[in-house]
Amino acid sequence: MNWRSKVLDFDKIARPENGLSGLVFDIQKFAVHDGGGIRTLVFLKGCPLHCRWCSNPESLAGKPEIIFVANNCIACGECLKVCGNGAIQQGEPGCEGLTIDRDKCTLCGRCAKYCYAGAINIIGRYLSVAELMAIIERDRKFYEQSNGGVTFSGGEPTAQPEFLKAALCELQERGIHTAIETSSYVPWDTYASILRHVNLVLTDIKHMDDAEHRRLTGVSNQLILDNLRSVSRLGIPMKIRLPLIPGSNDDEANLGRTADFVAGLQSLQSLDILPYHRLGEGKWRQLGVQYALSGLAAHAETEVLKAAGFFSDRGITVGIGG
Amino acid sequence: MASKMKVDPSVANHGPSERVERIKARFLATTPEICAERAKLITESYQETESLPMSIRRAKALEKILTNMTIFIDDDELIVGNQCSMPRSAPVYPEFSCKWLEGELDRLAKRSADVFLISEEVKKTLSKDVFPYWEGKTNNEYAASLMKPEALEAQNAVVYTVGNYFYNGVGHISANYGKVMREGLDSIIAEAEKAKEKFDFADANQMKSLHFLESTIIANKAVIAFANRFADEAERKAADEKDATRKAELLEIARICRKVPAKPAETFQEAVQSFWFIHLVIQIESNGHSISPMRFDQYCHPFYEASKSALPAEKAQELLDLLWLKFNSLNKVRDEVSTQAFAGYPMFMNIIVGGQDREGKDATNELSLMLLQAAANTKLYAPSLSIRIHEGTPDVLYMKAAEVSRMGLGVPAYFSDRTIIPALLSRGLTLEDARDYGIIGCVEPQVGGKTEGWHDAAFFNMSKVIELTLNNGFDPRTGTQVGLKTGDVSEMKSFDDVMDAYAKQTAYFVGLMCHADNMVDLAHGERVPLPFLSSLVEDCIGRGKSLQEGGAIYNFSGPQGVGVANAGDSLAAIKKLCFDEKALSLPELKVILDKDFEGVENIRQMLINRAPKYGNDDDYADDIAVESANIYCREVNKYRNPRGGVFQPGLYPASANVPFGSVVGATPDGRKKGTPLADGVSPIGGFDISGPTATVNSVAKLDHEVTSNGTLLNQKFHPSAVKGESGLRNLIGVTETYFKNGGFHVQYNVVDRDTLLKAQQAPDDYRSLVVRVAGYSAFFTALDKSLQDDIISRTEQVF
Repeated sequence: MNWRSKVLDFDKIARPENGLSGLVFDIQKFAVHDGGGIRTLVFLKGCPLHCRWCSNPESLAGKPEIIFVANNCIACGECLKVCGNGAIQQGEPGCEGLTIDRDKCTLCGRCAKYCYAGAINIIGRYLSVAELMAIIERDRKFYEQSNGGVTFSGGEPTAQPEFLKAALCELQERGIHTAIETSSYVPWDTYASILRHVNLVLTDIKHMDDAEHRRLTGVSNQLILDNLRSVSRLGIPMKIRLPLIPGSNDDEANLGRTADFVAGLQSLQSLDILPYHRLGEGKWRQLGVQYALSGLAAHAETEVLKAAGFFSDRGITVGIGG
Repeated sequence: MASKMKVDPSVANHGPSERVERIKARFLATTPEICAERAKLITESYQETESLPMSIRRAKALEKILTNMTIFIDDDELIVGNQCSMPRSAPVYPEFSCKWLEGELDRLAKRSADVFLISEEVKKTLSKDVFPYWEGKTNNEYAASLMKPEALEAQNAVVYTVGNYFYNGVGHISANYGKVMREGLDSIIAEAEKAKEKFDFADANQMKSLHFLESTIIANKAVIAFANRFADEAERKAADEKDATRKAELLEIARICRKVPAKPAETFQEAVQSFWFIHLVIQIESNGHSISPMRFDQYCHPFYEASKSALPAEKAQELLDLLWLKFNSLNKVRDEVSTQAFAGYPMFMNIIVGGQDREGKDATNELSLMLLQAAANTKLYAPSLSIRIHEGTPDVLYMKAAEVSRMGLGVPAYFSDRTIIPALLSRGLTLEDARDYGIIGCVEPQVGGKTEGWHDAAFFNMSKVIELTLNNGFDPRTGTQVGLKTGDVSEMKSFDDVMDAYAKQTAYFVGLMCHADNMVDLAHGERVPLPFLSSLVEDCIGRGKSLQEGGAIYNFSGPQGVGVANAGDSLAAIKKLCFDEKALSLPELKVILDKDFEGVENIRQMLINRAPKYGNDDDYADDIAVESANIYCREVNKYRNPRGGVFQPGLYPASANVPFGSVVGATPDGRKKGTPLADGVSPIGGFDISGPTATVNSVAKLDHEVTSNGTLLNQKFHPSAVKGESGLRNLIGVTETYFKNGGFHVQYNVVDRDTLLKAQQAPDDYRSLVVRVAGYSAFFTALDKSLQDDIISRTEQVF
């Protein structure tokens, strides 16, 4: 079992009728910044938050999606011929003019199947736990050699709790270190049942002010902060990640409050600042959606170091870049 | 990795001294030139010795060169000995071949890579005093006369090339340096004198041996006299020297050069100087490259120990750094086409540290770490530094190596004892000798001082064979029927039919290639025996035979398959799309390839994106790549060479993947006509999209034991992937896993793409940027643009 062959299997895009399956949008091997050692990173699709800076917008919707990568288009016209629903239109001449009517699209996958250049893709594949394990096991020796393991990210991995639990449980039985990268925006009972199978939690704090948090992400931060305290009480090792977004959460007041909060977490290993980058902008375009932070410049290195100072001053171990 | 710590890592913490920095700066400011001295002297000598036996003629020629060539001692030098009349210059070796040089004299300073300046005077000397004599007399011309026309035709079509030894000396050897350091050349002369007693002058064949032994005595005496010339020069300079410190240094140099290499070395500096004279003269005697010192940390360690109390670690480090600079001063001029396959002034002198000793215990010592530090201190392309990894490799050595890897110089290269020792045992080495292996050139293992390995016997163009298979043996580029008629594509009804035809073509061309190699081999034995080098390899003196005639204990010939990934991916695409899925027929595919995908970019994209690709841990593609390599290896294993040894296959390209690609039409892996092939056993750049762990898993599926002449895996990492101590641990994690899975060699280029692109645009600002090419490192800006592009396009593993 190989992730690439799964991705290229355009005949099996729909959710399988039987058995537990998870919706995965990417699997990355040799991840070295997400939980220690050499890891496999499994990205689950679907997220209850909608952060304005999200760099994986294809992860937000909890269903498969069609994307169009204009750069890859060789204008062969196959997609227009094979689409039975009239969902693909060639507007202006040239490939940039190709538009997909996502209401008409049934995600049958035919266009993607015949788009050999990889300009049209269906994001998201349903995998059983067994299929996922087969992919993960291929790198077992690397985990063992480097004290690595597997990290579930997203999207929001806890948004598919049953699949996530089953996969984590299976990994622990196989003796593979587990981590999750989560917003912690999940009902505590569900979270607690997942955490039983987790060796390390990587979790975000995006803003300390509830109103601002709602504005930036669409949800309240109360559940998140309560959950972080609970994770700490359980003594599960935790790394807090702070996406540092210019003009959104980088003011001194917020950084100070964040640092105060983090300093009180007993099981904290480190706080990692994730500086804002614009690599996600193109993906929004591929999904046919306007990017909210279009044109926003990244921080200079000195500004990132200054932000780090708020945490190191309180004795917190700070990493930059995760 | 559990092992008791017996080495204090602080011995290897000393940065470069000012002396080292000064010599390096002079080196960087020097553009290589052509020196005509050797060519003129050897031509005169040959004219004087036409009535003598060949072995004696060779010895007398070496004697004449060493007696008359210009020598000099540069400012700041402590280790002395020069190859040419000017620093960094290249001598000419007309006896091997010189027609190409005659034709390229005016191109040398203008070509796109490995530029050499050449003065009008040198041109005149070569044209007047050298080239006319050698017309029809070179080893190349003789070897060509021995070959079947089909073998020459296949070379012309670039199905393989035996070019290296066809046009040059063989090299690819490690002499018994340790023995010279311990016993001195006087003892070798005594040994040869004694051996003479065994042979009967009344027996014509044995008389040949007596001539050979006499030649080794002449050669060794000439080398001792050569060292004494440096002693004279040092004394002369000392007499004029005002600075008391330098004067003392010069007098010490003089004392040492009077003593070694004739007598046993006692101090560390004497040992290094003795080593250098040997290493230098081997490269004056012949222009074979890949003269590899191998386990310097082992045979030099007793001398380090002996001097340790009197010699501070930073002074010992300085001597090693100076030796490193000396390695870089050696040079070689190649023809313009070969320069594409061996780009960046490489000499492929491989030094290896660590590993097991002859009893199987860990061999790491202080020098192992200090040699890694010398690479870090000098930051130049030579020598090629390698490290042996086994279960007992101490963490301190592993981490030091990973730190040097992270510097981005492409060194050290990592080799696995776990794979290589059994591979050598399978070729008949004793267990002790197999454990004592080192690396020649890029990736070729052998035991030093006992082996004539002929490791770079040929390159075999696996992708060309794919093209010829699809064309029924006809080569569209040269318009000739070079291969067998194995059937038109329309007659191939199954994938097995395709594989059968591919296997038959491979068998045919491997046969021709081994024949061509053997003819070159015979020519070297008859025309260019090397008495000095032979005297330093067991058991030439005992057998009364030069290396070139089978005097060594172990003899091999190693031709390399190039483009495994392209052959494998091409066959995988045919199987998947023409037979499994019937997306297009094989004849349709051939028409598309003939047109170089013109007008059918979507089909090219299908071949690229809808067929499985080697390097992604996908068994479908990997199994076919493995089989295509095995077909080649099985054929090579069938042949024997005239020195009494066997052929053994390797899978590495130097940089031949670029010129080899230029003669191959479009291939079913989606590769366009004329573009480079994948290097070594690495996947095709840009197709290994599943990360380095998947790449390593795929490559480990090859049989790295049968390819006992070496395999080569390049991995490129972005600096962020190896940041911090955890980054070093991850690098070690990748290496260890590859080796546990059966890997042979891996090397890392840690440099970001942006830097390379900038260097391409502003070469003057990046003159000292060293990158890994294949089994060696080179200045990036000295490489041809197409090779630069190839290096940039190799997938950068960043996550």
